[in-house]
Amino acid sequence: MVLLLQYTLIFSSVLLLVALGGCVSEHSGVINLALEGIMVIGALGGALVMKFLPYTHGQSSAFVMFICVLCAAILAGVLYSVLLAFACINLKADQTIVGTALNMLGTALATVVVKSMNTAMNPDDHSSEIKYIDAKKAFLTNIGKFELNWFMIVAVIMLVIVFILLYKTKFGLRLRACGEHPQAAASVGISVFKMRWAGVLLSGLLGGLGGITYITAGVSTWKFENGVAGFGFLSLAVMIFGAWDPFRIAGAALLFGLFRALGNVYNGFAFLKALNIPSAVYNMLPYIVSLIVLAFTSKKSRAPKAEGIPYDKGMR
Amino acid sequence: MNEKKSLLRNDGFQTFVTSIICIILGLIVGWLALLIIEPSGAWGAIVAVIKNFFKYPSAPARLKYFGSTLAKTAPLIFCSLSVLFAYKVGLFNIGAAGQYCLGVALALYLAIVKQMPWFVCLVAGIVAGGVSGALCGLLKAYFNVNVVISGIMLNWISLYGTNLLLKPAMDPSGKDTFRLVNKAKQALLPTLGLDKLFSKNQYVTLAIPLAIVVAVIIWIVLDKTKIGYELKATGNNVNAAKYCGMKENRNIILTMVIAGGLAAMGGALYYLSDFEQWNVNASAVPGMGFNGIAAAFLGGLNPIGCLFSSYFITHITMGGGNVDLSHYCAQIADFISAVIIYLCGFVLFFKTVMNGWLKKSEEKKIARARAAAEEANKEGGNA
Amino acid sequence: MENQYAIEMLNITKRFPGIIANDNITLQLKKGEIHALLGENGAGKSTLMSVLFGLYQPEEGIIKKDGQVVKINDPNDANRLGIGMVHQHFKLVECFSVLDNIILGVEPNTAGFLQKAEARQKVLDLSEKYGLQVDPDAIIEDITVGMQQRTEILKMLYRENEILIFDEPTAVLTPQEIEELMQIMKGLAAEGKSILFISHKLNEIMEVADRCSVLRKGKYIGTVNIAETTKEELSRMMVGRDVEFVVAKEPAKPTDVVLNVEGMTVASKMHANNAVKNVSLQVRKGEIVCIAGIDGNGQTEFVYGISGLEPLKSGKIEFLGQDITKMPIRKRSVMGMSHIPEDRHKHGLVLDYSLENNLVLQRYFEPEFTNKAGFLKKANIRKYAERLIKEYDVRSGQGPITPARAMSGGNQQKAIIAREIDKDPKLLIAVQPTRGLDVGAIEFIHRQIVAHRDAGNAVLLVSLELEEVMSLSDRILVMYEGEIVGELDPKKTTVEELGLYMAGAKRQ
Repeated sequence: MVLLLQYTLIFSSVLLLVALGGCVSEHSGVINLALEGIMVIGALGGALVMKFLPYTHGQSSAFVMFICVLCAAILAGVLYSVLLAFACINLKADQTIVGTALNMLGTALATVVVKSMNTAMNPDDHSSEIKYIDAKKAFLTNIGKFELNWFMIVAVIMLVIVFILLYKTKFGLRLRACGEHPQAAASVGISVFKMRWAGVLLSGLLGGLGGITYITAGVSTWKFENGVAGFGFLSLAVMIFGAWDPFRIAGAALLFGLFRALGNVYNGFAFLKALNIPSAVYNMLPYIVSLIVLAFTSKKSRAPKAEGIPYDKGMR
Repeated sequence: MNEKKSLLRNDGFQTFVTSIICIILGLIVGWLALLIIEPSGAWGAIVAVIKNFFKYPSAPARLKYFGSTLAKTAPLIFCSLSVLFAYKVGLFNIGAAGQYCLGVALALYLAIVKQMPWFVCLVAGIVAGGVSGALCGLLKAYFNVNVVISGIMLNWISLYGTNLLLKPAMDPSGKDTFRLVNKAKQALLPTLGLDKLFSKNQYVTLAIPLAIVVAVIIWIVLDKTKIGYELKATGNNVNAAKYCGMKENRNIILTMVIAGGLAAMGGALYYLSDFEQWNVNASAVPGMGFNGIAAAFLGGLNPIGCLFSSYFITHITMGGGNVDLSHYCAQIADFISAVIIYLCGFVLFFKTVMNGWLKKSEEKKIARARAAAEEANKEGGNA
Repeated sequence: MENQYAIEMLNITKRFPGIIANDNITLQLKKGEIHALLGENGAGKSTLMSVLFGLYQPEEGIIKKDGQVVKINDPNDANRLGIGMVHQHFKLVECFSVLDNIILGVEPNTAGFLQKAEARQKVLDLSEKYGLQVDPDAIIEDITVGMQQRTEILKMLYRENEILIFDEPTAVLTPQEIEELMQIMKGLAAEGKSILFISHKLNEIMEVADRCSVLRKGKYIGTVNIAETTKEELSRMMVGRDVEFVVAKEPAKPTDVVLNVEGMTVASKMHANNAVKNVSLQVRKGEIVCIAGIDGNGQTEFVYGISGLEPLKSGKIEFLGQDITKMPIRKRSVMGMSHIPEDRHKHGLVLDYSLENNLVLQRYFEPEFTNKAGFLKKANIRKYAERLIKEYDVRSGQGPITPARAMSGGNQQKAIIAREIDKDPKLLIAVQPTRGLDVGAIEFIHRQIVAHRDAGNAVLLVSLELEEVMSLSDRILVMYEGEIVGELDPKKTTVEELGLYMAGAKRQ
């Protein structure tokens, strides 16, 4: 039971972080379909720090390690989202094509980097894995049987920050105006380009954080060829279900996290085990649930009105 | 002079040029990446990627591997046609990867477990993909679910579903399904004697000519028929389609059925040619569907263009396997194709730049002609 | 002597490829006056205002503020100079509150955090001072158009703008709201604000303005004092000749009923109420029936109901004696119903299709254009398109193969009209068929519609333009809040009476 709670919370944290990223980007008017790729690159950034920063559990400062990993993931995610912002905002490219390309590029790039790194260190090693068993312990704290991953706390803090940012600050008001009615925002002197850049870079930050959280959820090695298994897209479903509202997104993330966690821990429940359902079914579960949920929530969409439409100064 | 100008202004020609630009830029970025990894062998590696089977000295070997490249191109052509067809109707079929899986699932299941002949397996595969496409279309038409997101969800569901269905077809000695040659000869695709043309490459089958025929059919349907006219109208402006009495929801669903069927057909044909076997513990959706997106856009969203772009992408992907593995990895080719699609997003921008440049040079020419005329006038006056 | 002009635009010339949008235009706005800018659609008014707002840079000419030459590079510069504008299409974020919209861009804040209390007080003070009633916490999409406009005005006042521009502000208002707006504008001018009032409505200009500058086809015609001029003179300046508002036509000779609507009710997509409430009417052969009303009173939904774009909640439609209430759109069209849609970009055209493909949009499935195997007969389509292009004088860059997107609005509209009238429909539904067109094109379209009536067909016209309603129709039905509130004979009624019905002040 504790295990289920633990997995639910960690997967929910991932979904929450990434969905918040999508939410910020869409409120600025850019549909960020590249979250999947951003997660991979963010995870790569964090994993590289964990691999190369010397750390011995119990001796080095866990906090310093944690901050370094956090910053690396954020930096990687933000830098990668520049590619999306530049193409979609400045060159007005199709947001779907660019997003898809960046997802493919994220996995390909991470694989190439990790493989060539592994091969350079050991000519016989052609795997795309990074191990971080020891380093990961830096941000795990055991409370009884429950293993607290510090990124769960990061997710909650981010939730509060994003809420305040969107609804209580000047920046948030302007950002949302750009996603709803960019011409209106421009008419009162707001630079739509700048706000959209900010929105996309922020989503890169949150996506990167989500990526590093994902690869530290329950495992201590990651094979980068596999990307992040559609979590970027699951997060978009969470965002839609959460109606672009941070707290509702948090609720939706918990629900989806639960279904994802079931796939990991169903063996621990006698009655589930007795049902003898193949593991593939549990693996499908979060995706099936999200399809059903989307079918019931997409009709009355509260999506920002101008999302997905490149802003053109000449258009009025 | 005039003809040259009109050629440069021709939309199809411009698309061709931008595709070439994307390819060249993509290769340059790939080369730069190789340079960063290990400068000494970078040139050799990028040449290996571009050369693919040309690296073999003997003509029969080259022919054989050319055949293999073609055999791998065929499913990609189907996937790119699937993406293209949906895109013409305004839908982004990222679910091609999942539909491809379902095509494989049904085809192999019927072939190995039920011992059905190849055409039954093929048709069943196509139907499975069509049904999955229909689901996507239904969700879009009646529940307004974003096709990209539902497509991705269906990809994962299809992947796990395929694993589940093919468990009984697994060869106990590994994780893959049985080879058809050993267990289900009746389901092998006919080669039509094509294998003999390619140095007895038994993977060169019916799939290749079929892919070309289907591409031509898609081109004809989209360009020459009433149904193509309706589908494209629906894609461009769904409100206008409704206004003039087209059944817009039916068109959306029909499109997704056809797109799903195409992707599944690719998967079924490929696995029925026995070139590859399905790994029933696969934890990632096969890249074929995503590469289909790359091929569709690189081919300028033209069915005939897709034939060439699909070949090109397969060519460099296979070439990627030939790089010096002590320094580099085969995924460099995936990296290059991802960069190429990213650049394909800029097509509009490239075209605008090109047209702006054409216009400027034209204006300059006119200005020069005018200046020359004035000059001539002046001289005339002086004389 | 102190400079008497708040803003001066001197000898402004702005060219676009192919046309001169503003040709040496001069506009001088005195402090504290209401200055009207009059001109038809396409006369260059919006280009001139875009220049003033820094959206376009003029090729020639200078702008002076209080006698000093200024450079306006973007809307921010205009804001800094105290220039504010109420756009024709409001620049309001619909899901924001009134207050949020007002402060957007000039948010009071400490360290980035919004401080709304002070702003709210300022808005309430302003709204009291100028008689602009609004609820600062109401959400824009829930309030009336009139209140939205007051929000726009408060936006300018909150920024302490001195020069206020109103771009066609009355187009969306009821006559009563227009009257209120006129009072507000006078009040603002009395407080020392300088107002530029862009309009093509002569009555309003006569009522409220002190002076009026007239543009025609990109050229400056002149500036007159309103006290010394007449409507007729202004009208002559605007169009360049005496305007004949009456369309030459014989009296109608209505015969058999073509369209019979009984108790039609259509739900609204915007709000919980029904958009069309229990409407019954008949249209006969050989008459033009016009539905008049202010925009948004259910006309759109009414037409959607008849054409089949929206299902009815209740009621019955009979067309040529047959019940078509549940009939699909295509069948209605084949039976002889044509529909010139209100929004040509939303419904009327497939913008990425060529002109010829758009011209067969309602007929592509007929044996003339599609053979039995389902292939399009492209040669026939080309021939047909060429005929329509010639007959209806549709102008475009490359003839039949021009992408519809590349055509001018007027020619797009002509293409739609050609397509719909050439079908020779028994019933022609024309919704605002002349919106955004120049005088010549309007005359042409009006002649086509009358000719279609004279050929023994029925026409259902929906129009917001009073002149068009009065001159073209044989019978007027006024729609107000989804109901038919009156039936009028254009020969026996006046624009004023019509206005009272449209505003809901009078009903039969």
